Amino acid sequence: MSAPLAVEAHDLERVYASGTATVAALAGVTLAVRSGEFVAVMGPSGSGKSTLLNVIAGLERPTGGTIRVGGEDLTKLDEQALARHRSKRVGMVFQAFNLLPRYRVVENVALPLAFAGTGRALRLAKARALLERLGMSARAEHRTNELSGGELQRAAIARALVSDPAILLADEPTGNLDSANGAALIALFKELHAQGQTVLLVTHDATIAAHAERTVRMRDGRMVD
Amino acid sequence: MRPSDLVAMSLGNYTRARLRSALTTAGVAIGTALVVLLIALATGAEDNVRRSIFSIGDLRLVSVQPFQPGASGLSAVPRTITDDTVSQFKRIAHVEGVFRQFDAPLGTVVEGGEDATIRPQGIEPGAPVDRGDLIAGRHLAAGDRAVAIVPGNIARLIAPSAGGAVGKRVTMRIGGAVKLGSTRIGGSGTPRDYAVTVVGVFDEQASQTSMRIPLEDALAAGAENRGLTPDALRQGTGYSGVAIEADDSQNVADIVKAVQELGFSSFSLKQVVEQIDQGFGVFRGILAGIGGVALLVAAIGIANTMVMSVLERTREIGIMKAVGAAPGDIRTLFLAEAAYVGVFGGVLGLALGVGGGQLIERIIRNLNPRANPAPIFVVGPDLALGALALALVVALVAGFLPARRAMRMSALTALRYE
Repeated sequence: MSAPLAVEAHDLERVYASGTATVAALAGVTLAVRSGEFVAVMGPSGSGKSTLLNVIAGLERPTGGTIRVGGEDLTKLDEQALARHRSKRVGMVFQAFNLLPRYRVVENVALPLAFAGTGRALRLAKARALLERLGMSARAEHRTNELSGGELQRAAIARALVSDPAILLADEPTGNLDSANGAALIALFKELHAQGQTVLLVTHDATIAAHAERTVRMRDGRMVD
Repeated sequence: MRPSDLVAMSLGNYTRARLRSALTTAGVAIGTALVVLLIALATGAEDNVRRSIFSIGDLRLVSVQPFQPGASGLSAVPRTITDDTVSQFKRIAHVEGVFRQFDAPLGTVVEGGEDATIRPQGIEPGAPVDRGDLIAGRHLAAGDRAVAIVPGNIARLIAPSAGGAVGKRVTMRIGGAVKLGSTRIGGSGTPRDYAVTVVGVFDEQASQTSMRIPLEDALAAGAENRGLTPDALRQGTGYSGVAIEADDSQNVADIVKAVQELGFSSFSLKQVVEQIDQGFGVFRGILAGIGGVALLVAAIGIANTMVMSVLERTREIGIMKAVGAAPGDIRTLFLAEAAYVGVFGGVLGLALGVGGGQLIERIIRNLNPRANPAPIFVVGPDLALGALALALVVALVAGFLPARRAMRMSALTALRYE
């Protein structure tokens, strides 16, 4: 094995109780993502790809199997440690952007650092530097409602990267964007990957997935091929 | 999360929903103001009563009566206070002074005419009764004989002004029938005349009839009236009473107990004050309870506001958790928001309570200019700090459940909340 593993999922299960029936969103998923890799997870809706991402992000706990991110076994972490995992080890980008409208863009980007205990001046400086790197300097002091969809998602990516995470997780990041903005965003992911960032992207769109280094497919909570 | 960030973030949340925060804060302010106002009223009333008691006498004093302890009035059992008894009193711990008193039979000051009825009180120099109330002349001094300190009204009967009576020689007629107007009010034995010099005049607010004379003179007059010797009188009849002075009012209760153990009835203002304190404690508690109900209603308001705030910000909570907010961070953020309601409401309520009290006081004084000049509402530092702390605690308690709810919310569920 050349590079250490960023993500190591083995026989991962996530079962929901729905009334009397149970639904398995993940029914034994095994996946390894190397450090520095750009992996796309593809599958139709309901295939369990978002659940997989949420488990890796530490937003959801698996009901079976093992999951290691950056070598840490997430099933052994308590709520407090899981919060630290979310703030330091992973950066998450959502389809719905999920920025806080009452804060300025730069404050949104700096938010994870606030919860990590970084001082205000330092975290705002970091956020500004990152926004500059993503070509968003001009928008740093704006409110989120003054931004276009493409800009919002760039700001969200900046927020996901502000803690220098081991892995960048993106759940349908282009889902709310038009094709031009979507293409620009994918170009940004490729650029970040070229700079060494590990990226795990979930999409149902084959043209987006085609940009990744490697594509894995899911259906009914399982890996296919 | 750093405390400075916590303060800034929660303050932002507090000020965002301005009207709602203002209304909730107003609720706390009104509750706090009511608590402050009612307790201030109770404290003012208590101060007033205490002040009146302090004006009656010294809290360090224990007065001993020639009776057995317990029963009073007609069923009181007499006991004789002799010089032996007095030396026993002197040996009680913390006793600073013991002053004997002998009341001679009623009489009149002849120069003052029919209205000048007097009760001659034989006292020792420095006796508590003969302190600090002079309007002319001097108090009784050691070695004085055939002198008297008279009340202002008697002084004006024997001289044009109270001061003019000082130095006058008057006739003190003791015994026989003593009348007030045409009513016989007492007197015993054959009337006898004694020449005395007025050396001082005291404010008749203390008494309009008592005339302070040296203890030996009173004993001599009393003995002559009954055909006894002064020594026989000391031993047989005993003194009319004794004033014991404690070194500190803290020790009065012990002295009272010791005197009662020696078999004498005793009384102290200090005990009265203690009973009044207890009574006012209850009074204050009731008033504070009424104010507390207002604060309880305010607390429900806070809880309601916080529940709404948590619901409204569900998505925000989800986002914060997704980017790494620890459960404790979320709880602290919401608790801090509730704390702002408590702090601002408390400060505002305190100001409102103090201001309202002053306003009511001014209105009362305008309506009745001759009202007792003592303040009606008294807000001490205890009450002020207590009210602030109470408002904060009420807010934190009210905010606790909503904050916990926010803390326990699943990040994913919260992110999906519309």
